[in-house]
Amino acid sequence: MPTQPTDDEHGQPTEPVSRSAAGVRAGAHARGGQPEAAAEVAPSPSPSPPAPAGMRTGAHARGSQRDIAAPAEPAAPAAPAAPAAATTAPPAPASSGPAASSFGSVQHGHDPEAVRARLAAMPRPSADDPRVLLDRTSDADLFEPIPPYPTRTEREAEFYSLGDGEMFLNVGPQHPATHGVLRLVLKLSGEQVVDVDPVIGYLHRGVEKICENSDYYHVIDQVDPLEYISSLFQEWAAVLTFEKLMDVQVPRRAEYIRVLTSELLRIASHSLYMGFLALDLGGITPILYGFIERDEIVEMLASVTGARMLFNYFRIGGVNGDLNHEFMSRLGDWMSRAAKETEANATLLNENEIFVRRARGVGVLDRETALRMGVTGGNLRASGVAFDVRRAHPYSVYPELQFNVPTRDEGDSLARYLIRVDEVRESIRIIDQCLHNMPDGPIMAKLPRLLRPRPGRAWGAVEGPRGMMGVYAISDGSDQPFRFRIHDPSLLNLETVPLLLPGNLLADTMAIVSSLDPVMGGVDK
Amino acid sequence: MSFATRTWTRMSIPARLLAIFIPLAVVLAIATVLVIVVLGGPFVDFLAANLPLVRFFVTATAVLLMTVPTAFVIIYLELKVIARMNLRIGPNRVGPWGAAMSVIHGLKVLSKEDFAPTGVDLPVFTLAPVVTYLASVMTLLVIPFAPGLFGQDLNIGVLYFFAMGGLTVVGLLMAGWSSFNKYSLLGGLRSAAQIVSYEIPLTLSAVGVVVLAGTMSMNHIVLAQSGSVFDWFVFKQPLAVIIFFIAATAEANRAPFDLTEADSEIVAGFGTEYSGMRFGFFYFAEYVNVFIVSALITTLFFGGWTAPFNWPWAYNLNWLDFSNGTLWVGIAFVALVVGTDVMAVLVRLLGGSTWSLPGTMILGFAFATVVAVGVVGLAGFIAFDWVQGLFWFMAKTYAFVFVFVWLRATLPRVRVDQLMGFAWKWLLPASLLNLFVTATAVVLLSR
Repeated sequence: MPTQPTDDEHGQPTEPVSRSAAGVRAGAHARGGQPEAAAEVAPSPSPSPPAPAGMRTGAHARGSQRDIAAPAEPAAPAAPAAPAAATTAPPAPASSGPAASSFGSVQHGHDPEAVRARLAAMPRPSADDPRVLLDRTSDADLFEPIPPYPTRTEREAEFYSLGDGEMFLNVGPQHPATHGVLRLVLKLSGEQVVDVDPVIGYLHRGVEKICENSDYYHVIDQVDPLEYISSLFQEWAAVLTFEKLMDVQVPRRAEYIRVLTSELLRIASHSLYMGFLALDLGGITPILYGFIERDEIVEMLASVTGARMLFNYFRIGGVNGDLNHEFMSRLGDWMSRAAKETEANATLLNENEIFVRRARGVGVLDRETALRMGVTGGNLRASGVAFDVRRAHPYSVYPELQFNVPTRDEGDSLARYLIRVDEVRESIRIIDQCLHNMPDGPIMAKLPRLLRPRPGRAWGAVEGPRGMMGVYAISDGSDQPFRFRIHDPSLLNLETVPLLLPGNLLADTMAIVSSLDPVMGGVDK
Repeated sequence: MSFATRTWTRMSIPARLLAIFIPLAVVLAIATVLVIVVLGGPFVDFLAANLPLVRFFVTATAVLLMTVPTAFVIIYLELKVIARMNLRIGPNRVGPWGAAMSVIHGLKVLSKEDFAPTGVDLPVFTLAPVVTYLASVMTLLVIPFAPGLFGQDLNIGVLYFFAMGGLTVVGLLMAGWSSFNKYSLLGGLRSAAQIVSYEIPLTLSAVGVVVLAGTMSMNHIVLAQSGSVFDWFVFKQPLAVIIFFIAATAEANRAPFDLTEADSEIVAGFGTEYSGMRFGFFYFAEYVNVFIVSALITTLFFGGWTAPFNWPWAYNLNWLDFSNGTLWVGIAFVALVVGTDVMAVLVRLLGGSTWSLPGTMILGFAFATVVAVGVVGLAGFIAFDWVQGLFWFMAKTYAFVFVFVWLRATLPRVRVDQLMGFAWKWLLPASLLNLFVTATAVVLLSR
């Protein structure tokens, strides 16, 4: 008979909170009366990502004091005494402060009997009115900050106590401008951001664990939807790591095709980045121009890979299909005007006074902080560090190709944007060289049907549009990776948000977050 | 429980008000008709004796009714123009070229649930859109659309305009405060700060025109600009035009100054909690405001209804004998029938067999009607100076409406501190300088 989890049972008070995520609650309801089943599907506290400072996960955020009682509720039919305890007296962990007290007054039981009783006692316009009124007795609390759960750490207690003239503003996960399901709890003083509590995890799929239960072949399309607007780079990181594990020699033509297709996708990703940055600053036109570029590129890639978004194209030892006539004609068509069009799209913003004034000087990420926080990619290069995986740890045929690593020293939103503009130019150069140097030959290495690498471990990283996209895999000799870990640049870039936002205005929140270019699929994994 | 009681309890409060108001209006209308029938003579005498009052009621009603098609046209214009600038097609399903899209939008908001979230301050929440809308509509009362075609020729027209225009902020602030939503609150306070700041350069730049024209009456300001194009105040007040345009953009909450409803920051600003027709009023008010500030720029700086050049021919159709009314009705009828047939034949020839016979006739009738309206409009344009004045006024005004739409498609949004800094550090000194130079010049030249 499971009872309310207490500190004694679980050793630490945090665990019941994490096991009462929304999905788990839904599961418990669906299986009414089977608390054991509900307990089984409850995920253990997230093993990875390494909990960054000042960031919590959505699963935790949804937990609340009333949720602590949730696992006990399915027992209601069996034990009539339990629901009363669950609805009236949840185990209140020792916590103090205004936050906890205001929260404590909201007690909606999940027990159907109790809900029915509450509804019956409610004043309603007429007996057969189908509308259900909200409980107006708690109106006073509606405008108060409600912490997601009794604060557990000093940092949370500090954040959830308001100073004079401050207020909370919950931005996301359904805000129109947060990229995907990012949630930012802002503490505002007027329009100025005083503090920020980013909440992630709404899109968590446990993709690393899924990969550990997949064949080496299947990992490729499991990692595809991570950063869903630049799928080839995740595939490449996984494939590169597995090739290291298995000592596979990839044919040169395959390597050139990989470089060609992924640089195309880099341009597509950066086109969207520029458009979304402008959209978050209020300009509605550049995003549509960016989508035109991206659409031409994904159509081109669809003709060779068969998909527009989740390509599933790279294979261990090569690529899935050779370049075909349609791809080459589309590519030639596009390349003849690519340089001009991307320049024109960039000019739309570069020479816009309002855009430049809004992006310059906000969200300045200095060199040391960027290095300390593990920022990579364009965001790091905008802070003055010329780190590019393609040059620092060369892979594939990049040593043979000529391109520059653009850097800037300002470290602000504008610099991050301009780095992307420069990278598009360099990518066009790389594509041009690929087309000139493309060798003939096979596109796949000779490999056995069943892949069983020798026991060992490998790390492979590629330079994605957002930074270093890495995969670390351990093989135990079976046909599935024993351990599979993903280093996603979006997560590390997003971790700088609590450092960048305070002191800025609310209007710049989205400009800064957007300039870091997070993709929540990759952040939440 | 009876049917009536059950229906009554299920009705929302506005529906209950309507249920009281509509029978009352019917009864009052019948009573009015009866009064006119019974007391016909004295009633007409009363109206004749109180012509200004009658004029006020009639023009107020006309102006109120005018806002709806105006908003529809501008909404459609914006949908279509921005779509083209974004390399999209825009609405193209409802009506020819999607032209009925905004009518459908209007019907949609009308048919939505009248919903107020828990926790709102209901009276304020309900009144806010009305205040905003009425503040917009009331400013229309003093705009001279054409010679003789205006609501009221107030001798303090410009002052009245700014006073009523300033009331918009009250509605937005009410909406922001009563919505019980922090996004709304931020939007409402932003709009208060923004509109109050930009009122000052807006008004000061218009004072230059008032100094030049020597009057605050809108009609006399237009008359002061009649003559040639170079009598327009835009050539005497170039700086004021720029200041006025920028400030008017901010006043109308249009891009790049649409901070009150910045969707990437504060979801929909003051309108976050509004839906249905309550939202519709805000939406209408926004586009009516666009029209109004365009009309004001036209009136103050671009000559109002005056033509940019003089016509080489006389405006009269005296050679047409209108004395025989029946004959002209017959001619119009025959012309429409013949025109319908001619157009139907044209449709058949050009469109081939894609249209059925009834379809061809209907389309032919529609085209013939358009041609007839065009011909009658042209005749009116030549014959009546108010038709001509209306044409020029609308042409100029919609040119500025287009510029507002164009700005929205082009520019990102400014930040709130930049917005305020620009108003106080640049626009205010510039408008003061403009006023000083204008006043000095007027004093020196008149000496």
